Amino acid sequence: MLKVEGLTVRAGTVELVSDVSFGIAPGERVGLIGESGSGKSLTALSLMGLLPEGVTASGRARLGERDLVGVPESRMKRLRGGELSMVFQEPMTALNPLMRIGAQVAEVLTLHGRPRQEARERSVELLERVRLPGPAQIARAYPHQLSGGQRQRVMLAIALANGPGLLICDEPTTALDVTVQKQMLGLIAEVAPALLFITHDLAVVASLCERVLVMYGGRVVESGPLREVFTRPRHRYTQGLLAASRLTPRGTRLPIIPGAVPAAGHFPGGCVFRDRCPHATPACATTPALTGDGHAHACWHPAD
Amino acid sequence: MTTYLLKRLAVLLASTAVAAVAVFAFMALLPGDPAEIALGVNATPEAVAELRRQFGTDRPPVAQFLDWSGGLVSGDFGTSYVTGAPIGPQIAERLGVTVVLVLGGMVLALALAVPLGTFAAVRHRDPLGVAISAASQVGIAIPAFLAGILLVFVFAVRAQVLPSGGYVPITEDPGEWLRGLLLPWLSLGLVQGAVLTRYVRSAVLDVMREDYLRTARAKGRGAAGALWRHGLRNASVPVVTVLGLQLATLLIGAVVVERVFVIPGLGDLLLNGVAQRDLLLVQGVVMVLVAAVLLINFVVDVAYHLLDPRLR
Repeated sequence: MLKVEGLTVRAGTVELVSDVSFGIAPGERVGLIGESGSGKSLTALSLMGLLPEGVTASGRARLGERDLVGVPESRMKRLRGGELSMVFQEPMTALNPLMRIGAQVAEVLTLHGRPRQEARERSVELLERVRLPGPAQIARAYPHQLSGGQRQRVMLAIALANGPGLLICDEPTTALDVTVQKQMLGLIAEVAPALLFITHDLAVVASLCERVLVMYGGRVVESGPLREVFTRPRHRYTQGLLAASRLTPRGTRLPIIPGAVPAAGHFPGGCVFRDRCPHATPACATTPALTGDGHAHACWHPAD
Repeated sequence: MTTYLLKRLAVLLASTAVAAVAVFAFMALLPGDPAEIALGVNATPEAVAELRRQFGTDRPPVAQFLDWSGGLVSGDFGTSYVTGAPIGPQIAERLGVTVVLVLGGMVLALALAVPLGTFAAVRHRDPLGVAISAASQVGIAIPAFLAGILLVFVFAVRAQVLPSGGYVPITEDPGEWLRGLLLPWLSLGLVQGAVLTRYVRSAVLDVMREDYLRTARAKGRGAAGALWRHGLRNASVPVVTVLGLQLATLLIGAVVVERVFVIPGLGDLLLNGVAQRDLLLVQGVVMVLVAAVLLINFVVDVAYHLLDPRLR
């Protein structure tokens, strides 16, 4: 379905995402986890062709038969909202405040060739599909009359409108209340054709995804089936990340990863994690390749 | 919406009434007795008293105010102390000229500012976008009357293609009417357009950073399409505020431009009234100007509500 090979994102001379490769099979739900600044969102935006001004992507990414990187905007435009769609992090600002919900859903349909009248009827059906109560009234409402969770459902309805092959979600539940989060995740799991789910919340990934990619410093440092990566992490960063999110007995210190994520362009050469890694040796000055079938890791001194 | 409209209308009427009191009180407090002014320094006290009685200025101020404000409601502004002619028709005639001048200038300003400001925002990194932004800064620094004088110098004195001033009513000769108004429109429009360009630019820049524009692009719109369909209406909300303020400034500022181009508008009438110490005429013109500003604010507020559903 989706095949990414050697995806690299640059702002001028600074490499923000380096040589990222992964695949997503039809119907598969893949989690992309990492801290802020690890390059998760840029990876997603480069697949959508929506990188900010001055940021460019190179490498290869194919969705079915279609290239996604290095393709002219006129071609990407037809894919976005059609074959490929995305739900963003902040539902409160993602909708146009001056436009009725129904019109905003119908827009994505008319943009991809549906007649106006049909699009209007279909948009109500879509609002119903994302389980919004009273879809006809919601269609007539303005965004400010809806809650955050409802708005995110609207965004999901927009993303699903043209039956995409792949849905990308960038922290879609981070801004929502915990109770609403659960419902939203259930809904995404139910409707997503194939899913790339970006988050820094390991629990969310655990409840939703079958496979997981761990990013740090613009690189994929570990990837594999969720159960394996979470129970038997190989990369020292993944190990630290899991330790930090585990509940600890009362009275003990919270385990943390020492140091802080460097600013973009200030990661060390070789293994990007070596300046924070307790197991680092001179060997780590050489970049480790992502190796291993199924469960892969990029580390010279993996845990076992 | 209807309740809002009624409420806002009530506010408009109330503030106009307060303005009438203020204008009247201010004029009443000014030193100078119209009867004494009309008769000159050698008048006998009896003659002055007689004229006061005729003008009605011998009555208590409250009675005078009620008389004057009661007349305003029916469009009667009283009779001039100097010429004895009714003031209402004069104001109506001059107001028409000023409104045409100001609205023409504003339309021109908008026609310049919306495309230029949007372009400057979209290309804010390019030299051309920066150049437009810088040029608008220069435009802001030039007052309208100076722009007028410069335009007269170029088009009337040097090139001699347009009249340097004067006004021909449209009923007499539409062609000359237009030729006479071109330079005044330009001098108001260029300066106001420069100010407005900056506001349009910053409003569009703000909107370009909004998440809903990225959503529009994620739906399959190009950058330009997203800005056109989702950006411009959002950007117009702050611009409308500035537009209202500018319209009010323009109306008052027209006084000066009317002088430069010898246009018989409201400003010209006001200055003549002041020069001749025709206090009741001045009072009437000021009242009309104040009411016009209040009306502009009313229209801006209503436009706000139409544009932004969050206010409804």
